[in-house]
Amino acid sequence: MKQDARRRVALIANCLLNQNAKVCEGAHYRGLVSPVVQALRSRGYELQQLPCPELAFAGARRWWAVYEQYDTPAYRAHCRRLAQAIAPLIEQYIRRGDEVILIGLDGSPSTGVRFTSSKPDWGGRPNRPDDDWEIVPRRGIWIEELEAELKRRGLPSVPATGWALDMGRFDEAGSRRDLEEFLESREAAQGSGDDPAVP
Amino acid sequence: MNGDARGWRIALLPDTLVNPREASRSALPDVLGILEAAGYGVLQLPPPGEHGPLLAAIADQVAEYAHHGYAVAAVGVRGEPGGGLHWRRLAPLLRHRGVALPPRHLVRALVDTATEGERLAAFLSGYDLPVEEQRRWRV
Repeated sequence: MKQDARRRVALIANCLLNQNAKVCEGAHYRGLVSPVVQALRSRGYELQQLPCPELAFAGARRWWAVYEQYDTPAYRAHCRRLAQAIAPLIEQYIRRGDEVILIGLDGSPSTGVRFTSSKPDWGGRPNRPDDDWEIVPRRGIWIEELEAELKRRGLPSVPATGWALDMGRFDEAGSRRDLEEFLESREAAQGSGDDPAVP
Repeated sequence: MNGDARGWRIALLPDTLVNPREASRSALPDVLGILEAAGYGVLQLPPPGEHGPLLAAIADQVAEYAHHGYAVAAVGVRGEPGGGLHWRRLAPLLRHRGVALPPRHLVRALVDTATEGERLAAFLSGYDLPVEEQRRWRV
């Protein structure tokens, strides 16, 4: 039987399709983050929304938090359960030869790809002054656990970037440029055939 | 919430409406575009198949929204099993979490897409929580 044509699939942070998942005061759009959806759809990517680990764990009315506050055994176990719930779908895409990418949310303690938010001494009464955290170059907890689950399944790493929504001051035009550059780099990589082989 | 843009309304959406296949694209309205214009967020259901743990994770999210002042609706496709929404699996998961089943709107394929789009837009704009519930949570 003829196989389906090779598809492009973008794994996207939950809040890129649903800003209601954001922490209070963190939503920059009513629902969809349309620049991301448009950029991906116009290049032929199908969208696969990831679950939001923070919403299910700490709730819709959770406090703001940094990487270190979510870096607990219980939260990592929760992220692993979610990773195990979505990984079979991702494995199916990769094993049938689809081009799979990941778009996270830079600055997020959970879904950051290039950057996460850090402040080791945060805790106690939530009355910190504005912008009293640092942006550091590392994955968020959820992305770390998702990538670990894909690795456990013997899958190659998925090329990834983040939409820079949680970096303190949101720059939509800059975020859009970054995303376009990433997508162009993927097209160049596909053209040169340097993608990792599926084991 | 200071400077927060969230719309407080969310639609459960089948994979086939998030990612319409080439062949069905002209047979369906642009559902994502209509949801965006209506200010809805999306919770995407997986494609057909067995996805028990993922559906449970989605039900957990719906419960959290439903219990905190968000309006959750479901938009399916007429003629697909369960509307494409895994309804036979999802409905008991929601009931088990104490969530009233979201109102469902089914989009029809292969009819006038402009009319179908208008029907969907009317459903979306007409749905929200009672005003007293909105006042309780949306501050």
